Amino acid sequence: MAGEEGFFLEEKRFKQYCEDFVKHSQQIGDGWEWRTSKDLGDGYLSKTHFQVRNRHIPPDLKKKNSDNLEQILFARVEEPLDDSQAAGVCSAEEVVRYEYHVLYSSSYQVPVLYFRACCLDGRPLTLDEIWGSVHASYQARLQEGPWDTITQQEHPILGQPFFVLHPCRTKEFISAVLSGSQEHHRHTNYIILWLSTVGPVVGLNLPLSYAKLAPEQSTNADLAERALS
Amino acid sequence: MTDDKDVLRDVWFGRIPTCFTLYQDEITEREAEPYYLLLPRISYLTLVTDKVKKHFQKVMRQEEVSEIWFEYEGTPLKWHYPIGLLFDLHASNTALPWSITVHFKNFPEKDLLHCHSKDVIEAHFMACIKEADALKHKSQVINEMQKKDHKQLWMGLQNDKFEQFWAINRKLMEYPAEDNGFRYIPFRIYQATTERPFIQKLFRPIASGGQLHTLGDLLKDVCPSAITPEDGEQKTQVMIHGIEPMLETPIQWLSEHMSYPDNFLHISIIPRPTD
Repeated sequence: MAGEEGFFLEEKRFKQYCEDFVKHSQQIGDGWEWRTSKDLGDGYLSKTHFQVRNRHIPPDLKKKNSDNLEQILFARVEEPLDDSQAAGVCSAEEVVRYEYHVLYSSSYQVPVLYFRACCLDGRPLTLDEIWGSVHASYQARLQEGPWDTITQQEHPILGQPFFVLHPCRTKEFISAVLSGSQEHHRHTNYIILWLSTVGPVVGLNLPLSYAKLAPEQSTNADLAERALS
Repeated sequence: MTDDKDVLRDVWFGRIPTCFTLYQDEITEREAEPYYLLLPRISYLTLVTDKVKKHFQKVMRQEEVSEIWFEYEGTPLKWHYPIGLLFDLHASNTALPWSITVHFKNFPEKDLLHCHSKDVIEAHFMACIKEADALKHKSQVINEMQKKDHKQLWMGLQNDKFEQFWAINRKLMEYPAEDNGFRYIPFRIYQATTERPFIQKLFRPIASGGQLHTLGDLLKDVCPSAITPEDGEQKTQVMIHGIEPMLETPIQWLSEHMSYPDNFLHISIIPRPTD
């Protein structure tokens, strides 16, 4: 794993970027909030949203509705392979509740994206179903490496099973984007940059208006928009 | 005089006598006898219970068998925690053998991670080792190792081979001559009474003046409620591998000698027995 040197994020900075992030989210009604844990005062960003999941879409229908983002995202959902995955079975055209959390890893000094999904009756989606809902172009990338993989892990504050997008390559690509004088990038919101890149892999998209969060220098807005495109 | 290396062996070969009983609502074709096993403290439940699974599956119909999971007095046991940690945290002051209930149905999705194969255990184990090295050495030592060295750590654990494991693990326990210890200590503190599963923070083993930080220093900094004020009675015990180390023990020494194979110090804060 290369790139352990390079841009790291201190916890205080993380909290500040999250605060700015939430402020903007509130302005545009994007649904993010900051949750503080009562005992230690640390916390995380949280957002819940609902998506419609269509299953078994015939190929011609897929083409007709190719501009329907949800259908593209969930067109690859497969039948569960065996009974042990029965817990995650949703009927066709189910509404799925997605919950996304952004936590700070003090060990790696990067943000980490945790998420889980369940049907409205509470049945959680399995890893295979989550996998199946990943956009086709990202699936190849995920299958290639151990680096960008999705695994099930215990949420370090809630203690419940969540899926986690492996943070291994975070420092590498963040360094690549933020290379150059740190002076330029002092105002770039690391969280927006990072989330706009990793979020779409698991169905989480940021409206473009987040890119306008640091209007002081045009270079920063360019960088953020580049990350979002 | 006991050598420090003897501590490594004592930690590795620690065992907990356990009695596995099938959950009464599981549907069986014959009566299920309990199964007794000495569990390695340093391993993981799903890694060492193949025989337990086979034993109970013999009296059950195939269609009644789904993913195995374990429970102690109503609490689902997290297979991704080392066995010794689970015992210290939940059952250390109760009579042996440790009584664990075995389930094959109604997997508690909200409490437990799935463990469909040994690969999942290996991935989890290696992820812990990597995180520990990120803290100790900015990942330099683990990244310099070859894939076969990583594999040897896992095989050593899986096959209970102390020498094979430590041939590689000793490199993860070294530090530059100019330093007096690791960059940060990999540790997690657990209390069964909290919603938060564990406390983990950055903590340096050496103070700015060069003194070695102790276990007591760590607890004072990260979990002060574990060390009660001098006037009060000590209501809790601080337990690692079934013992209460002296609070004056240097945390660097504890990290080198009493970490689990995942290179973390897993510390339990439990109620002190009142007898």
